Amino acid sequence: MSDRTLRIAAAVVALAGLAVAGYLTWVHFDDTALVCIAGGGCETVQESAYAEIAGVPVAVLGLGAYAIVLGLVALDSPNARLGAAMIALVGLLFSMYLLALQLFVIDAVCVWCLANDVLIAPLLAVLTALRLRS
Amino acid sequence: MNPSSSNRPSGRTVVLAFVVAIAAALALVAVALIARSDSSTPPTENPVVDLGGIPQDGRVLGSPDAAVTLIEWADPQCPACRTYTEEFFPTVVDEYVRPGTVSTEFRGFPFIGDDSVKAYRFLLAAAEQDSLWDLAEAMYRNQGGENDGWVTDDLIRELATQIDGLDVDQLFADAEREDIVTEAEAAEAAGQAAGIPGTPTLLIEVGDDEPYVIQVATADQMRAALDDALDG
Repeated sequence: MSDRTLRIAAAVVALAGLAVAGYLTWVHFDDTALVCIAGGGCETVQESAYAEIAGVPVAVLGLGAYAIVLGLVALDSPNARLGAAMIALVGLLFSMYLLALQLFVIDAVCVWCLANDVLIAPLLAVLTALRLRS
Repeated sequence: MNPSSSNRPSGRTVVLAFVVAIAAALALVAVALIARSDSSTPPTENPVVDLGGIPQDGRVLGSPDAAVTLIEWADPQCPACRTYTEEFFPTVVDEYVRPGTVSTEFRGFPFIGDDSVKAYRFLLAAAEQDSLWDLAEAMYRNQGGENDGWVTDDLIRELATQIDGLDVDQLFADAEREDIVTEAEAAEAAGQAAGIPGTPTLLIEVGDDEPYVIQVATADQMRAALDDALDG
């Protein structure tokens, strides 16, 4: 697989992550989603006490992380590749913590949060592959 | 562009970056755990609405002659139900329930966890003394994090003591009554059987007609829904 293909793949996955994090940010701040869904749902998770860290919505953290990764992929220096891979690694580890919260503490699973978890793993894989090539 | 290998970070830099990334992730989780207890909405000190003088009968607040009934399916642990209570309920009470045109009925759907069921037991017990809505309002103002054990006997006693005319010892005795415990524990299944998707679910019942669901995101939308029902 060429370098260019990997960079495009990383950008596409990061854009998808940006879209998911953007949606979750919108849900967090949107009053029309004023409901806790029985059996789990993004509104329940987003309304929970775990949806913010020191006042900053988790969704906003994701939005920022994906935006930075996109910028670093565009920059495409060896250090940028390393930085992007490390941000994705932090994202993956934190996503695992959030997934555990949903499954075992909040007892509700947010489909869009799962989508984010699904995206962060291939992003890390692609960025790691890019990093190893540089 | 293919970055030149001359700019490639050294092995030491990569290891350092890896360690920093792991440390950052752990720090993020640690901050999340520490800051979590501070992130739940703090208690609202004063009642958000005055229910004094409004008739209550069991789960129903308002005149028995009201033409329209607003049914609220709610979970005492649901943050959205707290938002409803603090931001929309005062409008409903002040503009519709107190004047006698609308009554409102509480139906528990305690699906979030054990604290939900326990809180609902006390609400049902309060309904025995026609004080359900006073206790519900106080509970929502003092709502803690989901399933973190905030529905303590001490909190319930503290809140109940502030409600005029409520016999607190009787409240605690009723909350342990077999029929009330059974009803509270069966309430989640009852809500599911009724097709309730989440909380708060609001329905409007006009006379003997079949109740219909309304969705409101602002006080003005709530007014419009109730006005439509009253005009209907």
